[in-house]
Amino acid sequence: MARLPYIEPERADPLTQGVYEKAQARFQMVLNIFKITGHVPALGAKMWEVFFTILQDGHVKWPTKELLILKTVKQGDCLYCVTQHEVVSERLGVGPEKQADLIGSRYRTSPRFTEEERAILALNDEVTADARRVSPETWAEVKKHWRDDQIVEILATIGAYIQVSKFGDSLGVELEPVFYGRSSVLFREEPPKSPAAARHIEHFEHVSRKAAAPHA
Amino acid sequence: MSVVTLVEPARADPSLKGTLSAAEQRFGAIPNFVKALANNPEICRPIADFMLESLRPGQVDWGLRELLVLRMLRATNTDYGVAHHERLARDLGVSPERIADVKADAWRRSPHFTGPERTLLEFVEQVAVDANDVGDDLWARLNAQWRPEQIVEVSMTVTTFLMIGKMGDALGVDDPVLFAKAPQ
Repeated sequence: MARLPYIEPERADPLTQGVYEKAQARFQMVLNIFKITGHVPALGAKMWEVFFTILQDGHVKWPTKELLILKTVKQGDCLYCVTQHEVVSERLGVGPEKQADLIGSRYRTSPRFTEEERAILALNDEVTADARRVSPETWAEVKKHWRDDQIVEILATIGAYIQVSKFGDSLGVELEPVFYGRSSVLFREEPPKSPAAARHIEHFEHVSRKAAAPHA
Repeated sequence: MSVVTLVEPARADPSLKGTLSAAEQRFGAIPNFVKALANNPEICRPIADFMLESLRPGQVDWGLRELLVLRMLRATNTDYGVAHHERLARDLGVSPERIADVKADAWRRSPHFTGPERTLLEFVEQVAVDANDVGDDLWARLNAQWRPEQIVEVSMTVTTFLMIGKMGDALGVDDPVLFAKAPQ
């Protein structure tokens, strides 16, 4: 449940309205996570520039970045981010089977991943566990396949999704009605570690059922 | 030692000139963190801008925000940024006692913090441990003591520096001279 009011477009200041217009053009809707940042227009506008940059082909292809995003936000038990990025990933050609193989260390042996992808998913695991202790072997494997400009983009993707998942969850940002009824691939494969996240999933399922049969 | 090449200003993409100059002005030197990001100008620009926007007066007292960032970094075993935010807090006039009390759990009982400040520290600690689990009681106190824009600013600021800290730690960059000059 959202703990603070969303800033709807009609209440937003001009800077935030500009962000909302860009979000609408890029994602065909203004998601709740955008609307919560309308409380801090200048900071919010700068924050979203990071995400507008990441969520496109860059020095690293967007579908590859989606693998990192899903791995990172699943690690943080973020229902909001996992659900949305499962949808985005599928649109970009990363199907449910490949998404499911992101769980734990399945990606290490799954035939659905390339050596290049395996190297940065191992990096992802180590950064989310303790970024100070990425092993030399992991870096050697990453550097075998990826240039410095790409490594920066890979770490920015992981870091940005640690940021936004904790930010959104801390404020109770809710999935939009367009996602009602959707069951997460990753949470089906592996339930959240956090009891609070498990309660959020139950609540979301309850709200979805109620929306589907309002008079039941 | 940095995992990626540190791009000196003379070698940086010309499109980063404004970003590097703003960083140098704010920090007293271009952080090695920014030089590492400069390998990828499209990524460097928005992250440096977001970082700089987070380091200025806002809805919550800047010195208090620095303490909240420090608590987030400590609670998540993040090293990059701790020394800079301690130095910045000192430069902003935060007492050594308050800085010392956010190193671990002393803030919970410390006489150097007010009740509303402790509520924010409790919020940050919870976000660090499990952001899904900010409970009703804590929210009741947050809403009674702080305005929505202050709560959003705190969450955004501490998670931003968590992102930067995790990236800095992974990149293996060190920035011993940041904030050698007091913030403007």
